[in-house]
Amino acid sequence: MNHSAVLDGGRKRIWERLLGIAVTLPPVALVCTEYVYPFLLSVRSSLQKNGRFSAENYAYALSVYGQDIVFTIFVSALSVVLVLILSVAIGGYLTLHRNRFWEFLFKIPLFIPFVVVGHAMRTFLAPKGLLNSLLSQIGAVDINNPPSFIYGAAGIVIALTWKQFSFALLLVMSAFESVDHSYLEAARTFGAGTGRQILNFLIPLSRSSIGVAAVLILTSFLQNFSVVMMMGDSGGAKHIMVDIYSIITYLNDLPLANALGVISYLLALAPAILYLRGELTKHA
Amino acid sequence: MHERAPALLKGMKLTARLLLCALALFVILGPLSSLVIWSLAEQWHWPAMLPQRWGTMYWQKAFRGELMTSFVTGLEIAVIVTAVVVVLAVPLAYVLARFRIPFKALILVLFLFPQAFPALPIFANLSTLFYRWDIAGKMSGVVLVQVGAALIYSLWTMVSVFQSVPRVLEDAAYAMGASRLRAFFDVSLPLAVPGIVASGILVFLYSLDEFTGTLLIGSPFVKTLPVQMYLSSMGYEMQIASVTSLIISIPGVLFLILFQRFLKAEYLSSFGRI
Repeated sequence: MNHSAVLDGGRKRIWERLLGIAVTLPPVALVCTEYVYPFLLSVRSSLQKNGRFSAENYAYALSVYGQDIVFTIFVSALSVVLVLILSVAIGGYLTLHRNRFWEFLFKIPLFIPFVVVGHAMRTFLAPKGLLNSLLSQIGAVDINNPPSFIYGAAGIVIALTWKQFSFALLLVMSAFESVDHSYLEAARTFGAGTGRQILNFLIPLSRSSIGVAAVLILTSFLQNFSVVMMMGDSGGAKHIMVDIYSIITYLNDLPLANALGVISYLLALAPAILYLRGELTKHA
Repeated sequence: MHERAPALLKGMKLTARLLLCALALFVILGPLSSLVIWSLAEQWHWPAMLPQRWGTMYWQKAFRGELMTSFVTGLEIAVIVTAVVVVLAVPLAYVLARFRIPFKALILVLFLFPQAFPALPIFANLSTLFYRWDIAGKMSGVVLVQVGAALIYSLWTMVSVFQSVPRVLEDAAYAMGASRLRAFFDVSLPLAVPGIVASGILVFLYSLDEFTGTLLIGSPFVKTLPVQMYLSSMGYEMQIASVTSLIISIPGVLFLILFQRFLKAEYLSSFGRI
């Protein structure tokens, strides 16, 4: 082989390497400045009070917002349970009985942004909203004293479930699709109905996909900001994202907001950690 | 009597089924129809079931006033964000999909990590940085925060797009004496175009709907439709907020109707975040 060709090849290699670094660096730098650095800043600031290292912000956050932390976990967990029950039941039914109309209809919420879902639910569920006026037509609701579905846990749970049910359905149905359909045919031959096929075949055979969907959705509920902001403030317990926002804008106390923020990081990580631990112990 | 029992059972089953279908329709379309009715309600006093006076007054208002400015601002931001994200993500996704590079695991973690954390506290601290750099409350700041977020979400779809391009084709190009750059531009990139377009559209929609970053970084000077909608909804301007909501939802719903058949779970999963 010609000596200069080898040299040429070597030069090309270096050139390609440099190009590789050149395309990798800007995105990496961007993510570091926009996520990693502010993340570290938030942890540092949460541990400082009057310029000194202190855990005071955490003590204060837990004592004042402890109830809201519990509320956040409660609404998120309840919503994810509802989402899973609905998506598995409907996803299972639609896998066994394909129907393009219903598949399209149930996909709609996926394309309605979170902010819009919050506002739509506000107009729909408010004491003087469309739902109550419809219910009053059939006499189910007293016009002069309409019940409120919107405030507190109920409104948030309904809005979050409505929005993410669609996403769960997508994940669940794609898992169900990949189940070997000869099992289902065999089950049908022995007289299994829709319910049996879902419970005894589809769910056990796609358990890990359902688990991943549950973790993704639970995390999205714990970190949700736009829906809970749009639903407004009822004066009762709040989602911690609403607390963090009001601490920043009204109290102007960034260290306190950051302490609650770090707690929210831990909350958001918890489902993934619990899931992975469960998987590891199962395989061990 | 014996013959009527199964018929009765069948009838009951059918009724239950129809009721379930009606309930499902109502649950999905109820909140959305509430938006449509509010947007067309010029006068609506409780407890009337429907507005006393219908009209397009608020729609006309929307197309004249501040809303149009926010719409245009949002559109400009979305176009810039999409272009920047595609330019940044395509080469990186290709490199990650094809080559063994140093610190690859670290880079992958870097792009997964932010997805696990709530955006609000992160962006709150980012906004103090942006104030220091004098880009808070400006278009450039909003573009920057959205590019970061969209990059994280779109990189993974782009990596899977490049992984689905058969490597054999590139090897064939190398065998014919093509350089890596040439193989990328002449072989892999053209094959990846449909996937890139799909993920570009998702970035575009993401940017139009983005709320948290825009509210924290852009306020009070840069307002996109979601922020504008939040402000009017908090001010109990129900009609304006509903008109805005519907305008915000149109691109996504159009996308659903047009691309229904091509939508795969892997692309759609990024919608769980909008």
